[in-house]
Amino acid sequence: MACSVRCTGKNIVRSLLFTAAIVFGVACGHRDQAQSLQAAPSASATGAVVIHEPPKLTSIETDKVDALGKPIRVACVTCHTARVGQKLPTSPDDLRDFHQGLVFKHGDNTCANCHVLGAQDSLRLADGRLIPMREAMTLCGQCHGSQLRDYKKGAHGGMSGHWDLASGGRLRNHCVDCHDPHAPKFVPSTPVLPPRDLKLGPPIPHQAGPAIPKLSTEGAHP
Amino acid sequence: MSEPTEKQPRRVHLKVLGATLGASAFAYAMAPLRAWTKELSVDAFLQKHYKELTKEEMTKVIARLEADTKRDYGADVTIKDPKPRAGVEFGYALNLSVCIGCRKCAEACHHENNHDRATNNSYIRVLEMEQGSFDMERGNVQYDHAVPAPGKFYMPVQCHQCDNAPCTKVCPVQATWKEPDGIVVVDYNWCIGCRYCEAACPYHARRFNWTKPEIPKEEINPDQGYLSNRIRPQGVVEKCTFCLHRTREGKLPACLEACPTGARVFGNLLDPDSEIRWVLEHKRVFILKEELGTKPRFFYFFDV
Amino acid sequence: MNQRSHAVTYPRFIYRLLAGAFDGGWRFYLWMTILTAIALVGANAWAHQLARGMQITGMSDHVSWGLYIANFTFGVGLAAGAVMMVIPAYLYDDHDMHNVVLVGEILAIAAISVCLGFIVVDLGRPDRFWHIIPAVGRFNWPVSMLTWDVIVLNGYLLLNLHITGYLIYSKFIGKKPSKRWYLPFVFLSIFWAISIHTVTAFLYSGLGGRPFWNSALLAPRFIASAFVSGPAFVIVLLQIVRRASTFRVGDGPIRTLSSVLRVTVLLNLFMLGSEVFTAFYTGGAHATAAKYLFFGSHGRHALVPWIWSAIALNVLSAVLLHLPAARNKLALLDIACLAAFAGVWIEKGMGLIIPGFVPSTLHEVVEYVPTLAEWKITAGIWAFGFMVLTLALKVALPVLTGELSLAKEEEPAEPEPVPEAAE
Repeated sequence: MACSVRCTGKNIVRSLLFTAAIVFGVACGHRDQAQSLQAAPSASATGAVVIHEPPKLTSIETDKVDALGKPIRVACVTCHTARVGQKLPTSPDDLRDFHQGLVFKHGDNTCANCHVLGAQDSLRLADGRLIPMREAMTLCGQCHGSQLRDYKKGAHGGMSGHWDLASGGRLRNHCVDCHDPHAPKFVPSTPVLPPRDLKLGPPIPHQAGPAIPKLSTEGAHP
Repeated sequence: MSEPTEKQPRRVHLKVLGATLGASAFAYAMAPLRAWTKELSVDAFLQKHYKELTKEEMTKVIARLEADTKRDYGADVTIKDPKPRAGVEFGYALNLSVCIGCRKCAEACHHENNHDRATNNSYIRVLEMEQGSFDMERGNVQYDHAVPAPGKFYMPVQCHQCDNAPCTKVCPVQATWKEPDGIVVVDYNWCIGCRYCEAACPYHARRFNWTKPEIPKEEINPDQGYLSNRIRPQGVVEKCTFCLHRTREGKLPACLEACPTGARVFGNLLDPDSEIRWVLEHKRVFILKEELGTKPRFFYFFDV
Repeated sequence: MNQRSHAVTYPRFIYRLLAGAFDGGWRFYLWMTILTAIALVGANAWAHQLARGMQITGMSDHVSWGLYIANFTFGVGLAAGAVMMVIPAYLYDDHDMHNVVLVGEILAIAAISVCLGFIVVDLGRPDRFWHIIPAVGRFNWPVSMLTWDVIVLNGYLLLNLHITGYLIYSKFIGKKPSKRWYLPFVFLSIFWAISIHTVTAFLYSGLGGRPFWNSALLAPRFIASAFVSGPAFVIVLLQIVRRASTFRVGDGPIRTLSSVLRVTVLLNLFMLGSEVFTAFYTGGAHATAAKYLFFGSHGRHALVPWIWSAIALNVLSAVLLHLPAARNKLALLDIACLAAFAGVWIEKGMGLIIPGFVPSTLHEVVEYVPTLAEWKITAGIWAFGFMVLTLALKVALPVLTGELSLAKEEEPAEPEPVPEAAE
């Protein structure tokens, strides 16, 4: 008799515990499916990092346009093999026949700092060595070392493609994709996608400082 | 009055009339609900929480959501449910020295994440501030002049994917949580729309769908994720997910690709050779509202 | 009769109450018709809000809570404030109060119904309500303060339903209520009343990103203002009950409650003053919301008229309550009560919720003005609350006066007394 009571008591306790476990499990979200994960990124990077080669490194825009309205480009060598200048210009004002309207705003540099007469598809490094125009990045890095360092570490310059090179490649901008080598500072442009949230209301005049002009033309951005 | 006696027949009749009038007035008042209930299927109503769905159930849910998108927007889309990757925790850093405030990131987000067109919604908000000051009080998001403007700098703000996220703590129904790869997600089919998370977030990172998003069929991004950029239903909260439908497949987020200055750096915090790690270890990094202890996965830095 | 099983008498009790709820004089019908009409207008506006989305409200991603949550907060205070009748009645054995304490408990029931109504209309997806039911949905307890609020509000509702239901039923069947079936619940309800408002304050004060709310004083302030709005409402309500029903209400409870009010109205102003001092003397970013609230900021000042009305009303009620004349003249007391009620409604509603969002976390100043739809829904929910209050009092008071009881019902010769409207 006593035994049976004790056993029943035990059973009650057991079933209570069992119920409590279920209730606890349900309340604490133990109905979750097991979390599945994708495999970790593979250590071997199969995707290639390609640096974009802007056409301006090998060709130049003409005033002719193609059927789609795009300016026709000609390779530098087209003119520069036939015509060798007598003297390297010292400022953009000296450019009369070709490269007209070139804007130069790049510190105290002169044309001869980077260009050499008779080797127009090359660039001249500070130590006098010539490098092909496509390797312009090396030239830029002579002065802009910290930017070149950041670039190499992936912390400067736009890119597209994959963060995980095992999943795919990446296309990186070249210096001159974004910066005009003759006037590298960004030209101001009109921002896109103005906020139009519900109930936003007109902007608040925050400072009494001078008004900042709006751009009259769109798309001046490099 | 329980049993109508001879004295009270008029009263009973009046009561019946009153009750009938009341019931029909109620039916009339609630009539606008018909449009709302039409879109609410039993399957949608009973759908389980994301974490409780089995693979087969998820397949069915996705098929239903794709069909809904076709019905409501006319677009053929593919909804995937990419899982987090082992050994990956995402981090994002933004270079305030080079950001020019062009809002191209906000625009890319707008298109990538299928945001409502009318409100120009985006998960990214760009503040223009005065150089030499970090007073957001004097910041401005509605600038419409040429950028970068003299004497100004720009700070885009988006979800910081906090490790100690106030938003996930406050959610009463666990509709938002932090994934193993560090991304804070929302189950748009579980959220009840109380907007407590919106009140809790210190970074203005969350948005509520005040109405059903409107997007022209041809502008819909068909490459969608269940937890990220699928078109959200009306009445639920949404947020930036570091484009997990892209980033969990190894791709870069849309805002990063759109940035013309390369101000954005994204990658795996657990990979010591990643770009993001290099930035965090070598640059002057700071955390917005660090004093709140939210422990973000989003960092700002300056060039030295 | 007393030998009969509850299985027989309880359905009978419920039936009698239901029947009583639909019967009354013309004033009762008029009052209920007006309330029904307002509630229907609200229901219609809510149906539109569900169909078209919450864009029809004045809320935005910057001010993501508005009139609904403001009224919710105030309603919780009203429910908690009703405990100011329970404390004198049970803790201090105030016999006069003991006789009318049920009115306070019924007010708590109605106020909680109002609160739940405001939560439901504030949800973007009320169809997913089941997600918040513990064990059925996914209840984020104990981390989310909102789950605590679900527990304490519904618990408070059940507690008060049990206490009032049990006492009225006992009276109906003519049995002396057994203490162990209600006294523990009454004492629990005192603590519970404090908890509902404390938890509601923690909803806001726990948010580090909202400096205006992130104050340890918020919960004490909530309690103080609850003890203003609760007693103020009950003082007026008791006078209405006294006139509109045969239920006897002495002057004692009104005197006790106005004594309470005299203290709490000052305490509330003192705490408001402390917040204002801290904000403005310190200055800086933490004062921006207070500056916007009291004086406007960046040329925007939608809340300025609200808060100054609240302060004017609160000061007015404080002054009136302390005039010696207010001790004798009920009219003066009533004006003071109405002013205090309206003052707290603004201060703790719009005056507390909206500045939490202005400026936004990125310091944008986007204003909030409730739309017509929000006003309709708000009025509808309050009308619903008044319906609950009226009906509950309407059926409970005749039982308490003995006009309605099992004994009387079983004497067929007795002509049935038709109770007057109890609005």
